[in-house]
Amino acid sequence: MATITVNGARRDIQAPGDTPLLYVLRNDLELSGPQFGCGLAQCGACSVLLDGKEIRSCITPVSAAAGKEVTTLEGLPARWAQQKGLSPADAEKTLHPVQEAWIEEQTPLCGFCQNGMMIKATELLESNATPTVAQIKEAFTTSGPSPHLCRCGSYTAIIDAVQRAATVMAKGR
Amino acid sequence: MANQNNETVNVFGAKLTRRQLVKTGGALLVGFGIAGAGAEFWKNRGVKAAGSANTLDPTLPGSWIEIHPDNTILIRTGKSDFGQGTTFTAYRQIVAEELSAPFEAITTVVMGDTDRTPDGSGAFDFLGRGTPNIRKAAAYTYQALLDLASQQLGVPKNELSVKDGIVSSGGKSISYGDLVKGQQLKLTIPVSGSLTSIMGLTVTGNPPLKPVSEYTIIGKSFRNTVTTSKVTAKEKWATDVRLPGMLHARMIHPKTLGSKLVSAGALDKTRFPNAQVVVKGNLAGVVAPTEWEAIRAAQQVAGGTKWSEWKGLPGHANLHGWLRKNADWTTTKVAKSDKSRGDVTPALAGAVKKFSATYELPFMKHAPIGPTMALADVRPDGTVQIYTHNQNPQALRGEIAQMLGTTPDRIVVRTFSGAGHYGRSNGGNAGAEDEAVILSKAVGKPVRVQWMRDEDFQWSTQSPAAFSDVQIGIDANGKMAGYQVDHYMPAMQDDRPVGAVLAGLPTMAPPNEKAEFIGSTVNGLSDPWVYDGVATLMERGHGTFQVGQKASPLAIGIRDHSMRTPGQFQQNFPRELAVSEAAALAGVDAIQFRIDHASEERVIGVLKAVRDASGWDTRSSPRANPVSTGVTPVRGRGVSVMFRSGTYWACVCEIAVTPATGAIAVEKYTIAVDPGIVVNPMQLKRQVEGGAVMGISHALLEEATFDESGITARDWRTYPILKMADIPEIKVVLLHRPEVGSYGGGSEAANALAAPAVAAALFDATGKIARRLPLKPEYVQNLLKT
Repeated sequence: MATITVNGARRDIQAPGDTPLLYVLRNDLELSGPQFGCGLAQCGACSVLLDGKEIRSCITPVSAAAGKEVTTLEGLPARWAQQKGLSPADAEKTLHPVQEAWIEEQTPLCGFCQNGMMIKATELLESNATPTVAQIKEAFTTSGPSPHLCRCGSYTAIIDAVQRAATVMAKGR
Repeated sequence: MANQNNETVNVFGAKLTRRQLVKTGGALLVGFGIAGAGAEFWKNRGVKAAGSANTLDPTLPGSWIEIHPDNTILIRTGKSDFGQGTTFTAYRQIVAEELSAPFEAITTVVMGDTDRTPDGSGAFDFLGRGTPNIRKAAAYTYQALLDLASQQLGVPKNELSVKDGIVSSGGKSISYGDLVKGQQLKLTIPVSGSLTSIMGLTVTGNPPLKPVSEYTIIGKSFRNTVTTSKVTAKEKWATDVRLPGMLHARMIHPKTLGSKLVSAGALDKTRFPNAQVVVKGNLAGVVAPTEWEAIRAAQQVAGGTKWSEWKGLPGHANLHGWLRKNADWTTTKVAKSDKSRGDVTPALAGAVKKFSATYELPFMKHAPIGPTMALADVRPDGTVQIYTHNQNPQALRGEIAQMLGTTPDRIVVRTFSGAGHYGRSNGGNAGAEDEAVILSKAVGKPVRVQWMRDEDFQWSTQSPAAFSDVQIGIDANGKMAGYQVDHYMPAMQDDRPVGAVLAGLPTMAPPNEKAEFIGSTVNGLSDPWVYDGVATLMERGHGTFQVGQKASPLAIGIRDHSMRTPGQFQQNFPRELAVSEAAALAGVDAIQFRIDHASEERVIGVLKAVRDASGWDTRSSPRANPVSTGVTPVRGRGVSVMFRSGTYWACVCEIAVTPATGAIAVEKYTIAVDPGIVVNPMQLKRQVEGGAVMGISHALLEEATFDESGITARDWRTYPILKMADIPEIKVVLLHRPEVGSYGGGSEAANALAAPAVAAALFDATGKIARRLPLKPEYVQNLLKT
């Protein structure tokens, strides 16, 4: 049995240690952000942050997350609130700037891949507050185990949203 | 008890009956009555006739639109959202506009669920060439509301005005909510069609529509509300649905597209104590309480499962030769376009310059980013609930009823958000639904079937391969005197649920020459001709059975299904590339050549718009001193045009090709779109950008490879799609033309325009013409050596 921290809460996991983290998150913890896209770490739909770094939960055994901090799409607002030291009342009504930008720019089409896109954007913006378009493309194409794939073709809207989020985050809100 | 005053009013052919209820103890929540039972709509597809006990009555506008006493409005549509966003944006705008109610008053959109929506049909052609069902339903409702207000206020109908859902005249006013409060109203509107057919029902008649000049809501960029719930992880996706006692399942599909089951592997009960194997015909599945056990147990059982061998496909390298020589093009009636005219043979014979060429397209995958999945609950009383993400839930309902030998009223399909399907499930199934039903029935529990990535590539349908023979003759004036095309394409719409076929359960017939429309092998003309200035024209479509369909012992072969711009993609690529070649032969600029042959003002309009927006310099192709060797990238540009679903499109692609490697980069993509009225500029722009990216992906990368036994594409490495790093600068020009008076579709076409424009750009840069897709480096590199 593994104990993992998911979005700030410690969770005891009954599933066998070789179970991919994705199935634990979706089936045992009933989180709906990460999606099953390929099970092969080839698309990025299942991405989560593990100690702040984007990983593919579809091929990561839950045992590998033991003792570590998992952040899913659900956990992005609290992550931002913590980083900014927002009061619980303010945190309650605050989205992560990445999420806000995704709404402002009307980025998703079907939206199935966007969990991974927003996780990747968060990881990028936490390490590079003002990425260029080339750096954004690099982050979403070659920085991880595979490119983050969008079949609907929302890449332009993603770039627009990352740039908008960067502006918001730079202002510190 | 209530006193009842019954009266009937004729509302532009619809009938309004009104019973005023007194002292019923509160307002009715639903202004317009909902009747549970409707007529019989099950004629198509060999589905048994049955009352649709759990379907809303489409003849009642209350099934489409509810006006609540608190002035909120609910709308319903059989069309599910697959990423178009139309139901959440354009549909609300259209209804709000017709009702002269605030956009924000429409607080609820119910989509797709077969027991909660009235009209069926698929997630395509949402705007229905300007008059979707929901618009007419709203228009009837508006007229009925005016009639009610006229009575209530004691003012003639033509003296009433409506703003923000409040009807007023001469100082008197009443809100829609107050109009329906305490009333039970029944307006019966005319509909036609068949609920479980692919097209569903159509609202008929001609209620007056709001004049475009009075629009205040259509044309604004309202946000898609579902975007917010998806971005904040609040959306309930089909993948999130869980039922008590549910089992997870993984399927074991045959080894090839023609293999029969010899023996199913034995389950290792020591390793997988909670798993269970289900075998039905040539279909096997493994169920288990946890997903991981189902996955591992299915892998273990699959390893010990024996299948017969089968080789009956030509393999992708031999595809087009096989199609031309071996496919049966004689059994199916040859289609001819309506615009074909004149005698093209002498025109071609007498031409000053002429050329003939063949254009070839591969099989392509819809390739949703999430593999197909569904949850089914077959109950002891034989009723079935299916939870899925499907473009045509009513058609699915008919297919499942047929498979089970029961009636559609026993089946309910509930739909949820999911990955885009791009047409794959618009005939009613995406692959997993029927299999979930088969397994649930076998084990007596709800079963959730999730296909793995390789299954989704290898057992789903594809966009059909095709080839076209084109002949063009140019006269002494440099104009096209004759254009002849013969399009060849296997059947495009195999709506049989594949699990039912494998299990040996009843389905509709495989595509054949006798079927009408859906399931027919006829290759209809799908790309409307836009060059009216061509003196003689002959467009023919030749159809045949799916590749391997007749040879496979399973009657399966390479199954096809319509994909975004279905059939039109296959016909527009040859046409637009050939016209660019004809322009070059005539020594005329490719945009000017098109303008010279067009007479429709809107065709010319999009061409001029894309010319201006792209900074196109007018000259003939190829460019001066084209280069087809070396390591230095060479640049070129190309254009393409399409008319689809009431919308005119033109695109310019600018590319850089490196001759030594054959690698093409699309650097800039400019597109002009004239849908008539632009309903929602922001949403349309995002749709167009997405289509552009998919289209470049089709042009450069996509081919469903196959060997003699089946599809060999199995993941994103063997079926690559465009990555973010490879997208061009995309410029979208929306031409808002209110004078057109209607709104055309916007989710399809951008995806088809890139391929002929990129191929024309390659020609412009290098002087070499590539007439086969995809334009992969190896192909381009070899072509440039010739």
